[in-house]
Amino acid sequence: MLFNSYSFIFGFLPAVLAGFYLLGARNREWALLWLTAASLVFYAWWRPVNVLLIAPSILINFALSRVLERTSEARPRLARITLLGGIAFNLCFLGYFKYLNFFAGSLNDAFGTHFVLTQLILPLGISFITFQKIAFLVDVQAGRVSRFSIRDYALFVLFFPQLIAGPIVHYREMMPQFRALSCRYDPDNVAVGVTLFFFGLAKKLLLADPMSRLIAPLYGQAAAGVPQSMTEAWIAALGFTLQIYFDFSGYTDMALGLARFFGIKLPPNFNSPLKAGSIIDFWLRWHITLTRFLTAYLYNPMTLALTRRRMARGKAVYGGRNTTIPAFFSLLAMPTILTMFVSGIWHGAGYTYILWGVLHGLLLCVNHAWRLVRPRIWPNAAVYNRRMAPVGFVLTFVSVVFGMVLFRAPTASSAVMLWKGMTGAYGASLPQAVFSRLGAAGEWLNTIGVHPAWTSGSVLLEATVRIGVLLAIALAMPNTLEILAPYEPALGVKPAKVRPLAVRALAWTPGRTWAIGLAGIALAGILSLGELSEFLYWQF
Amino acid sequence: MSGPRSFLRTWILSLMAFAVLVVSVNLLADPYDVFGTPRIAGFNARKPTARDHAMLTKTYQVARAHPATVVIGSSPVYLGIDAFSPAWPAAMRPVYNYGIPGGYATLASLETLREAIFAGGVKDAVVFLDFQNFLVPGGDSAAVTEESRRFRFAPDGSPNPYRPRQMAEDMFLALGTMSALTDSLITVARQEKPVSLDMARDGSATEADFINAANADGMHDMFAQKDMFEAERANRSKRAIAGWTGPLPGLDIVSRMIRVAHAHHVKLTLVIAPHHFDSLELYWRDGLWPRIEQLKTELAALAATPDHDVILWDFMDYGTFTTEDVPLVGDRRTETHWFWEPTHFKKQVGSIMIQRMFDGDGPAFGAALTQANVAARNADVRTERQAVVCGPDRKRPLTALDKPPGDGCASNGVVLRQNGPT
Repeated sequence: MLFNSYSFIFGFLPAVLAGFYLLGARNREWALLWLTAASLVFYAWWRPVNVLLIAPSILINFALSRVLERTSEARPRLARITLLGGIAFNLCFLGYFKYLNFFAGSLNDAFGTHFVLTQLILPLGISFITFQKIAFLVDVQAGRVSRFSIRDYALFVLFFPQLIAGPIVHYREMMPQFRALSCRYDPDNVAVGVTLFFFGLAKKLLLADPMSRLIAPLYGQAAAGVPQSMTEAWIAALGFTLQIYFDFSGYTDMALGLARFFGIKLPPNFNSPLKAGSIIDFWLRWHITLTRFLTAYLYNPMTLALTRRRMARGKAVYGGRNTTIPAFFSLLAMPTILTMFVSGIWHGAGYTYILWGVLHGLLLCVNHAWRLVRPRIWPNAAVYNRRMAPVGFVLTFVSVVFGMVLFRAPTASSAVMLWKGMTGAYGASLPQAVFSRLGAAGEWLNTIGVHPAWTSGSVLLEATVRIGVLLAIALAMPNTLEILAPYEPALGVKPAKVRPLAVRALAWTPGRTWAIGLAGIALAGILSLGELSEFLYWQF
Repeated sequence: MSGPRSFLRTWILSLMAFAVLVVSVNLLADPYDVFGTPRIAGFNARKPTARDHAMLTKTYQVARAHPATVVIGSSPVYLGIDAFSPAWPAAMRPVYNYGIPGGYATLASLETLREAIFAGGVKDAVVFLDFQNFLVPGGDSAAVTEESRRFRFAPDGSPNPYRPRQMAEDMFLALGTMSALTDSLITVARQEKPVSLDMARDGSATEADFINAANADGMHDMFAQKDMFEAERANRSKRAIAGWTGPLPGLDIVSRMIRVAHAHHVKLTLVIAPHHFDSLELYWRDGLWPRIEQLKTELAALAATPDHDVILWDFMDYGTFTTEDVPLVGDRRTETHWFWEPTHFKKQVGSIMIQRMFDGDGPAFGAALTQANVAARNADVRTERQAVVCGPDRKRPLTALDKPPGDGCASNGVVLRQNGPT
């Protein structure tokens, strides 16, 4: 079931909320059971067989975590083996459903083998659920989680607002909240939840989806081998960047809002990533909980193990001015690229996703290297930050936009074709209709290599206006977390000590102005529900 | 007022008030003419956004129009035939323009013909046929098009079982969606615009898009751009039909049109639509001319079905109207008289065709085709072409014919023949 569907907004959600509040008024345990059951229905709605696939996996993980709980102190070796077995089980589960065909196809391509590619049912949200289950096992083994029942665990895994596309949550940040829930109607939470949900719905349907219609033909043409001029290639790249930005931002707001209806605060997952001043900053703002997961459960353990090994051999380690080039490569570059490789393939079983991940890994390495080198050539950090912040922003923005082409392009070759288009390899052109209106300016453009083409002037105009408006919103306006900061829209989010004028001007309060404004936003979203479209991140 | 309870109360009340307002605006503006809301000058008389929902609009319009004559086809009919033209004989009025823009195929014409005929009251049906639709094997194989779900009648004439649900969806689309609201606001805002898109109650449309484009870009650019698209389309058609033997694809649909018209005592006029010289030469260049002649011959045979009231007209020739000159590049002032671009004729041409077909009068243009005269007509059109292309003026289309088989003229001006299906 899609969050942005009539059946969800006018059927499922009101029914679940009514049941939750009514049961909660009598017995909170019943209300939580109702919530778990409703989450199962939500999960099964699209394809009931999903439940049959995911339920055994949940039970096995619960059993493994029970073993870990009992052995982590008494028999650490057994606990370690159990943990490794659990991680392997979850990765195999994910690998079988998501990557089997990709690997078999790759082997067929590379070695001429003839593995049969079978049509597998990909359980909904499997990538997100798998990461949460692995994190849970690791936390239990490390003693960070204790006292849990099958009901707690099932609710943690299945809680429908974050079930399909995150945020990727930790048991230790969710369960204390569930245990403290009154399970009764709370107008404070509902007011914040309604605001978050309809902010997200409007972002998705009014800002993200219309862009899809404009850029899809450009990617289709690139996939068919038709070169795109500079104008079209940049529209394709910028358009998709903004589409996925508002799609994911919208989904995240809706997930936060839905959880808040039940009194739950999910962790922040999206914080104006296009405002980032560096690629490191970008990953602290984009899909925050994925970065947190990969850092905590992959990058850090890998770096720690490698550091210990280097120290044992008496070699230099990474850190500070004395970092050597070998230390940088083995303790930062290699783990970073490997982590981002995993991030890439986690997003999708395809070469383009892998390349996207590796590209970001390389960019992160360059960023880290510059952080090491910069103090030597530009010692004054304050002056550097003041003068170079715009440069950092532009470099980051352009890098992200180039990377997003890989994320959207159906094949690596079409992505390369679009990159070439963006750099002017196929020339620059404007629609003939635009040229006709430019007069002398058109002739001048012709002299510098911009040529008229029989492409649609109205489509170019619409794309340009949409991109301009979306960029202005993404870069100049405060985000949802800032607007609602005094009401803790996401776990741990507090108002900044110094709030810019735009944040103060748009700060949300439960007053009449926002009530009427939100009604307008909500209605605009509801009126746009007719065109059903999936969230881009649901496919991962 | 403050506090979450009053916030939520105000929010819900505002949401409901806004929703009622939106539904009311959409009902009054009625941008797609679904409800037949009275048209008020300056408010909703013109329907500038109806074109984008033409099948929706026209299905509801035709049910209210009770026409004696329906004209069926794609965008050339939609734009080029005026249902209110004085050229229509009194006995054929009222006329409804059931032309659907957007490249609809012959099957859609059959469906709209059925829908109009099953409703009763239709005595004449005029169906414009697009030559290129007969070059796509399998292109018309769909049993039921998505749009036909809203028709009142199923293909066998019984009530359409899909219609109630589709009507509910249509009402919702026209009342409770953002696109309807946007189109309602556009409808109201564009009433005073000097040149605006519109779809009248009789299905006729204004040529505002073409007028605006001609004013902005000039006729030369309009022809040049359409030439490019038509060249690609003709090339695709050429590949699709290559090696095809037997009757052209889609002719069986024309047979079904003839049968349904006969069964309901409707006089059927089939029309091979006119194309501008540029298009005709593209077909020549791509070796499609024998297919055009094949189509005319096979349609003439179908039209000759005994006891069936069917007339076939052919306007696909090299006459005065189709061979007018295109303004030179850079000339944005000179207007063409008869064609907007190679495939869309102007309303004046539409009226002349009506006059020719139903009044037996008017300037020389087109010919009624029969089995007896089709061979001669084909030969005549080749002769016309020879005179235009190989004569002293050696007229050339906008897109230079520099590819084989060239213009078909020998260096001495003698026309070379294109023989047989390619």
